Amino acid sequence: MIRLESITRSFLLGKESVHVLNGISLSIQSGEFAAIMGPSGSGKSTLMNIIGCLDKPTEGEYYLGGENVSHYNDKELARVRNQSIGFVFQQFHLLPRLSALKNVELPMIYAGVSKKERQARAEEALMKVGLADRMNHLPNALSGGQKQRVAIARAIVNQPKLILADEPTGALDSKTSMDIMEQFRELNAEGVTIIVVTHESEVAEYANRTILVRDGMIQSPAVLDRGPSI
Amino acid sequence: MSFSENLLMALSSLKAHKMRSILTMLGIIIGVAAVIIVVAIGQGGEAMLKTQITGSGNTIEMFYQPSDEEMKANPNIFQQAPFKQEDIRALEQIPEIKRVVASSTKLSSARFQKDTVDVSTTGINQAYIQLNELKVEKGRNFSTSDFLGGRRTGIVSSKFQEEFFKGENAVGKVIMVANQPIEVIGVLEKPTGLLSFGSMEVYLPFQTWRNIYGSSDFTQVTLQAASAEQLQVAGKKAAKLLNNRHNTEKSYQVINMEEIAQGIGQVTKIMTLIIGSIAGISLFVGGIGVMNIMLVSVTERTREIGIRMALGATRGQVLTQFLIESVTLTLIGGILGIFLGWGTATVVSFFAGWPSLVSWQVVLGGVLFSMVIGVVFGLLPANKASKLDPIESLRYE
Repeated sequence: MIRLESITRSFLLGKESVHVLNGISLSIQSGEFAAIMGPSGSGKSTLMNIIGCLDKPTEGEYYLGGENVSHYNDKELARVRNQSIGFVFQQFHLLPRLSALKNVELPMIYAGVSKKERQARAEEALMKVGLADRMNHLPNALSGGQKQRVAIARAIVNQPKLILADEPTGALDSKTSMDIMEQFRELNAEGVTIIVVTHESEVAEYANRTILVRDGMIQSPAVLDRGPSI
Repeated sequence: MSFSENLLMALSSLKAHKMRSILTMLGIIIGVAAVIIVVAIGQGGEAMLKTQITGSGNTIEMFYQPSDEEMKANPNIFQQAPFKQEDIRALEQIPEIKRVVASSTKLSSARFQKDTVDVSTTGINQAYIQLNELKVEKGRNFSTSDFLGGRRTGIVSSKFQEEFFKGENAVGKVIMVANQPIEVIGVLEKPTGLLSFGSMEVYLPFQTWRNIYGSSDFTQVTLQAASAEQLQVAGKKAAKLLNNRHNTEKSYQVINMEEIAQGIGQVTKIMTLIIGSIAGISLFVGGIGVMNIMLVSVTERTREIGIRMALGATRGQVLTQFLIESVTLTLIGGILGIFLGWGTATVVSFFAGWPSLVSWQVVLGGVLFSMVIGVVFGLLPANKASKLDPIESLRYE
């Protein structure tokens, strides 16, 4: 599903170039539920941005579902984000003036789905996350957990192979966090590959694999394969 | 992403900031309205001046301008009426001419009981009535038998009734005009317009007038052509005919309408250009206002842009979204401006007694121009929005 080959990413800070990622090689199989953990400043956000096609690696190759996307231009990356990746953010990132339904419709607008089909699919996605009765509410009228569910519905509505969640429970209480993680687990059971970036070990426990990032590198033992033993 | 989708999105985001949107539009509204008003009143004024010269029903006035030799030969030439009754009959034979309106005016005195006053008395032929030149308010207009029988009937101006009869109804009274009894059968409407004060006038059928003054010549001749296109031809033919009949070279003339119309056109064109360019400046300033607000809007909505990009919006789609938003803003402003300008021009023309012409070309121009402003001044903000970095934008607070 995902294969990173010696990815580096450096930023220019004034005249100095700062290396945030120093040669990351990683592969995640289709249907995996992976957690990326690491202290702040470790480069896990940058890694997530590259996996999410929001950023391009300075060097190295990135294969997503067999496509080498590391040299794609902005337009091609936009299409990849639209078709192959669903994002869930810590701050939900819903558009405040649009109802839950319209928020879920957004990715399909950019995919060029017809209005009628859009509405049907958005309703279906919202039902799936248990918000059938909140479709026409504005985000402000929803609780944190409900907002995150809308975001999840939005992430899955284009039926991507990969869902990227960046601290999805960071703004939620522990009870709601568990519900949201349950939701991810259900999606994963349906075959969707899920990558969660977190620094909470409770969250990481839902994943069947944890990747530790420190100082821009994957810490060895790079992969703690907890598997079913835990 | 379809255009209607973008339009709906633009409308909802403009609606979210109603006050701001309206204030931004104001520059465009005023600019477009100003253009509409200036053009409408300018064109209306031009049309009015033209009809004042040509007359409302394709008419053209003939005038007599004797040459120096003729004046030397006959020093009293201006005392004589230049048009004979036979001239009129000959003019009526010209195919392009529909009617020959002829009249003769003499200053005279009118008496009612003991009061005497100076009036101008005008003898008119029947075509004069047919052209609708006399608007009778009270009583009746001349009938065919008044003309044919030379009846002693007359129509007086409203000013005459006002001054001579102290506002009492003059219809039915018998006044003495040049010591001949005349029955007043009608009173004319008050003249409209800002600069019309009215004058002391008595109109008589030409037959009656001739019997009173013993002259069968006309002082004024106006030609009515069958159509506006034939007006100039009819005028030229008429002048040639009269010059032949009187053995003059070019003493009988018609006003050259084309030259005058061109002159008027020139003046109004310059006026329109000057005021139009002022209106253009206000539109330009309005456009800068739009750009300013759109830049603010882009900054405010940085996060929205980031979200849209993360969900798969291309830079082109973001650019289109903001461009359509600014075009929608200026288009609505432009349409409101057209209505405002239209309304104002109508009100102004109503009070000034001046027609206003809002042509569809001006309306279309207003709509298109406001859209162009939207594109031109929306390009910079929209470009800025599309160049945003999605990662930075998602983090923007």
